[in-house]
Amino acid sequence: MAAPTSRSLEYLEGLPGTTFFKLYQQPSTALAIFRRMLPDLAKCFVMALLYLKDPLPTQDLELWVKTESKKQRDNALSILGRLHILSTTLTGENARAYMVTNPFASSLRQALMGSEDSQSFGVFSQAPGESLISIADLDEYARGRWESVLGYMVGTSALSGQRDVNLSKGVKQLLQAGHLVEIRDRRVDITKDGFGFVLQDVNTQVWHILILYVESAEAIGMDSVEVLSFLFLLSSLELGQSYEKEQLSSVQLRTLADLADFGIIYQETPEATRFYPTRLATTLTSDSSALSSTVGSSLTGASAHPGASGSGFIIIETNYRLYAYTSSPLQISLISLFTTLKYRFPNLVTGKITRQSVRRAIDMGITADQIISYLYSHAHTQLRKRDASLSTSNTTSIPPSVLPPTVTDQIRLWQLERDRLRATAGFLFKDFTSLQEYQAPCQYAAEIGVLVWKSDRKRMFFVTRHEQVAAFLRSKK
Amino acid sequence: MADSDEEYVGDVTDDEDDFQVAQSDRAQPRKRKQRGGAEWELSRTWETLVEGADGTISSTVEGLLEANKRKRLLKDTTPLQRGIIRHLILILDLSEAMSEKDLRPTRFLLTLRYAQEFVREFFEQNPISQLGVLGLRDGLALRVSDISGNPTEHLTAIQALRTQDPKGLPSLQNGLEMARGALFHTPSHGTREVLVVFGSLLSSDPGDIHQTINTLVADKVRVRIVGLAAQVAICQELCSKTNRGDETAYGVALNEQHFRELLMDVTTPLATQKQSASSLLMMGFPSRTVEPCPSLCACHSRPSRGGYMCSRCGSKVCSLPAECPSCGLTLILSTHLARSYHHLFPLRNWVEVPWRRASSSACFACGLPFPAVPPEAQWSAIESHTKGMSVSSRYECPACENHFCIDCDLFAHEVVHNCPGCQSKSAPVVSERMDTTA
Amino acid sequence: MNSIDASEHYELGATELSPSLLTVIIDTNPHAWAALEDSLPLAKAVANILVFINAHLACNYANEVAVVASHSQKAAWLYPVHNDATSQESSDRDGDVSMNGDGGAASQTNKYRPFRMVEEQVTRKLKELMDSTHSADLRGNTSMLAGALTLALSNINRRTIAWAEEHGGASLDDAAAEGTGATGTGPSRYSASDEDERLQSRILIVSVSGSSNSAHQYIPVMNSIFACQRLHIPIDVCKLSGDAVFLQQACDATKGVYMALSEPRGLLQYLMMAFLPDQRSRRHLVLPTRIDVDFRAACFCHRRVVDIGYVCSICLSIFCEPPPGNECLTCGTPLDVGNYGSRPALIQRKKKKKKRANGASAVGTPMSRGTPTPGP
Repeated sequence: MAAPTSRSLEYLEGLPGTTFFKLYQQPSTALAIFRRMLPDLAKCFVMALLYLKDPLPTQDLELWVKTESKKQRDNALSILGRLHILSTTLTGENARAYMVTNPFASSLRQALMGSEDSQSFGVFSQAPGESLISIADLDEYARGRWESVLGYMVGTSALSGQRDVNLSKGVKQLLQAGHLVEIRDRRVDITKDGFGFVLQDVNTQVWHILILYVESAEAIGMDSVEVLSFLFLLSSLELGQSYEKEQLSSVQLRTLADLADFGIIYQETPEATRFYPTRLATTLTSDSSALSSTVGSSLTGASAHPGASGSGFIIIETNYRLYAYTSSPLQISLISLFTTLKYRFPNLVTGKITRQSVRRAIDMGITADQIISYLYSHAHTQLRKRDASLSTSNTTSIPPSVLPPTVTDQIRLWQLERDRLRATAGFLFKDFTSLQEYQAPCQYAAEIGVLVWKSDRKRMFFVTRHEQVAAFLRSKK
Repeated sequence: MADSDEEYVGDVTDDEDDFQVAQSDRAQPRKRKQRGGAEWELSRTWETLVEGADGTISSTVEGLLEANKRKRLLKDTTPLQRGIIRHLILILDLSEAMSEKDLRPTRFLLTLRYAQEFVREFFEQNPISQLGVLGLRDGLALRVSDISGNPTEHLTAIQALRTQDPKGLPSLQNGLEMARGALFHTPSHGTREVLVVFGSLLSSDPGDIHQTINTLVADKVRVRIVGLAAQVAICQELCSKTNRGDETAYGVALNEQHFRELLMDVTTPLATQKQSASSLLMMGFPSRTVEPCPSLCACHSRPSRGGYMCSRCGSKVCSLPAECPSCGLTLILSTHLARSYHHLFPLRNWVEVPWRRASSSACFACGLPFPAVPPEAQWSAIESHTKGMSVSSRYECPACENHFCIDCDLFAHEVVHNCPGCQSKSAPVVSERMDTTA
Repeated sequence: MNSIDASEHYELGATELSPSLLTVIIDTNPHAWAALEDSLPLAKAVANILVFINAHLACNYANEVAVVASHSQKAAWLYPVHNDATSQESSDRDGDVSMNGDGGAASQTNKYRPFRMVEEQVTRKLKELMDSTHSADLRGNTSMLAGALTLALSNINRRTIAWAEEHGGASLDDAAAEGTGATGTGPSRYSASDEDERLQSRILIVSVSGSSNSAHQYIPVMNSIFACQRLHIPIDVCKLSGDAVFLQQACDATKGVYMALSEPRGLLQYLMMAFLPDQRSRRHLVLPTRIDVDFRAACFCHRRVVDIGYVCSICLSIFCEPPPGNECLTCGTPLDVGNYGSRPALIQRKKKKKKRANGASAVGTPMSRGTPTPGP
């Protein structure tokens, strides 16, 4: 679940500063990054500073945040710094002060106020609609496409014969390049990463694919910055509207064609003069939960009942029995990855989660967390309702959970049975000469949230990121 | 007998009519005319279901849900004189009988939990009232918290009861006598009420409880009882005598939900039964102040910076409502008074709209689209089977004649106590003119 | 997947939370805005508020917004205007129903579409509202705040139910279905559900008119405020001119932000800094709040603001002096006035009485009530 933000965030952080400068030229990009990548508090900071003429002194900002929320504040500032959104300058009185960096600030202001003629939010198709496509059709199209991608990976395309969508070569290559599938003797084999991928929620999957796409863009001779900012542009389009292709550059057109293969956008023919973004595109900047209720429901095969509210179709009981109201072969094969299925009815499969079935899944490289997050994101409305009613009547301080805690705990325990070591990549700081010298950076690392382990006795600590700690150490000297 | 009581009886009869409708064609259930505890008859919900034209029961189920929502709204809304300033003693049974597990988790724990909710809700609804809590354990009445207007004191006191197990037999008489003592000094303009949560089927009393009942009647103390096990004759008599023959003051909980409802019913101020002494009370409306350095408050002698200054003598108290410790003036926030106004000026019930008048297409307040008006021929066909539900899903405010959906109806009557339509136009004359000219 | 570190956990928490619904109530009393013409004309203020609304929408994909105008003689929706509601009202609005109008759509692609939709509709409805205002309506310096609040609350209620149904989160409707009968169950079920599981709603009132004349709205406004308090909806007030006692009380009761702007020109910056953070962010921020809140009440008889008053024990009406004839002006109950109305000379009389009572008991007690001086 953490993947959509962190993965795209990691990717973006890796980009050089000049790339950011180019990216932030577009209001749509600034808006998308603001909305998707920043924690709540960081958004408040940016908005408060956006219309301020002078930089805000560091001290004032610190006063604004409650002392007990120091950790959140530092985390927010650190993310803003890493994304090159906030920079520090010196005010007239030589005090350190924050300000929003320029291309970002002006672009975001433009996005909010809509000045100038930037056409950053796409151009509506002016042509009289000969065959306007409805939102339901778009959803159907996106679902079909995306399911066929997943089906290809899991190997169920044969099962779902009724909609035989041929995947383009580009898609297959991309999946291979991302190590989601491997081709062995002309047979498609899903990898461990692939299993993790298919169990994620749709929004996460789309982001995963798009980052892969951007990464591979350079290889096929496209400017990754341009592709990236085009993706952000797509995310700000309106569902159910058609857009002109005329203004698009060749790189963008090529991207468009590739994205159509995934169902992220729709065009009648590759030569058509306009395109429609599907829900997969327009919800890119939303939270995963907002998407799962819309596309998610259509992707789970529940689209036959458009009025049905909620996205979930899985009911799981405390006795490990699982009932899934779905007829989608894809979902059934996903569930069968970690469940022993018993019966299958036209719209329902039942099964049981057993130690054996979970062990089998873990052997394939699926983690317990992935199983749980899959179950969580597809939990039936009844489960959520029950959870809500319990939480209102219970005065105990146990946090409410949608899934039965016994089941989630047991799945984790089954994983722990075999998974006793966990590797965390990172950096070890050691050989501090004095306790004070050790404590200050250690505390700092804890505040910015990168500390993994520490030992006061040995004066060592271990962090996942070293840049800021190193900078902190340097500033101390 | 006050008119309010009659109204309540009328309400109950309505319910029973429902039962009759539901069951008349089947084996005649034995009907017990006795009220109060006697609500045993099961309503056979499955028998009220009628298959719709498409062979499903969804339409009926939806109708039932909506009627259920609406049922609680169809209360009487004539403005009644209510005793807004209340003095209530809550007596909790802490005897052995409370360790029964027929209510989950146990009667005892559930009672404590609901008692806490009750205290919160009571002060929410009656901010200028006073409450005290007593317990019945081991044949004795024990004081849980003194009579006061501060909810947190009661909440912590009730919380502290959790550590002790219920024990012994209860003595209703001891509890009532102690409650009577606590209420003895309360001023005559307020009500004197006792609410008993009684789980036992007996009361082991030191003397004649009938004498106690008589003194309670003489002191104008009204007793309400929520029974948890079965109806007990002495409770019935107690309630009926202290409430001038009104037997609805005694209720026996059928299940957890019903128990809660019975308790929460009590939070609504009672209608005054006859002209009790009404008086003009002098009250202070202090403003909050914050001082640069802490000073002692007059109520607890604790140093604090914020507080409220008594408007007459200037002593500082830390929380409101309170009585000024030095000059005895009742200090209160005007918002506290305002909180009770909706009891006094209730929002009128909205009426169902037949298809004939269903001209609107969406709820005035929230914009929820209404179902379209079907052709006239079908009007009688889609007649609703359920009482209290509007065929056209529209509900009309009789004052401003706007149409609203069921959710807004519920919300307006239960939470806001305002009509969105009436409040959105100023004087009716002006709005009429505006409608015609604009 | 094994590389989840602490910072990412935190982000996870931040992104998983529910969106928020901001309801802006704009006081559009033309009279009061005319007085502000020099520093901040209405058009500019609305432009600022629109940028603020956009900023709110920008914060989260699923964030929602609603705008209500609290006009001099009525309260009206500015956004969202419900499709059907307009057609219903169209009779008195020249049938102008082109609200999702694609009219100017193609020309304006420089703006994120949701932003533009809000802007177009708000400005259009506001213009309609202003056009339909007659000079006769402008007498009072008040606005229909109670109506605007009630409309806003109804919408919040609707959206909360809808959101809960979509997401299966803590649903108010749920509790409504299982509970029957008692009034008491109503309010508590609203307050009990988990905070983070629900649609986060808040109300911002941009107020310009004073409260002096709006006393007839006192009870409905107070009812709305208590509803907000129960539903945990903070009411923020941005006061551009005048000062309203009950708005201060509203903020205090609902833990909202109250700011009286000394410099109305800086409206946007105030909005962005103080009013943009939603409830979740507010937990981490030090917010500007008013320290001294005016809690004095206005009496029902002369509208005087009093700090010591007389309250009828039956209907809780507040009077600044014992009402004439010792009868409550609101409910007509004869009241036992006690000694309140008496002059200081009372002590003397009491002494006399005491002496007399001691001396000759025959004089009796009827006098002991003290003849109430007829209230002026």
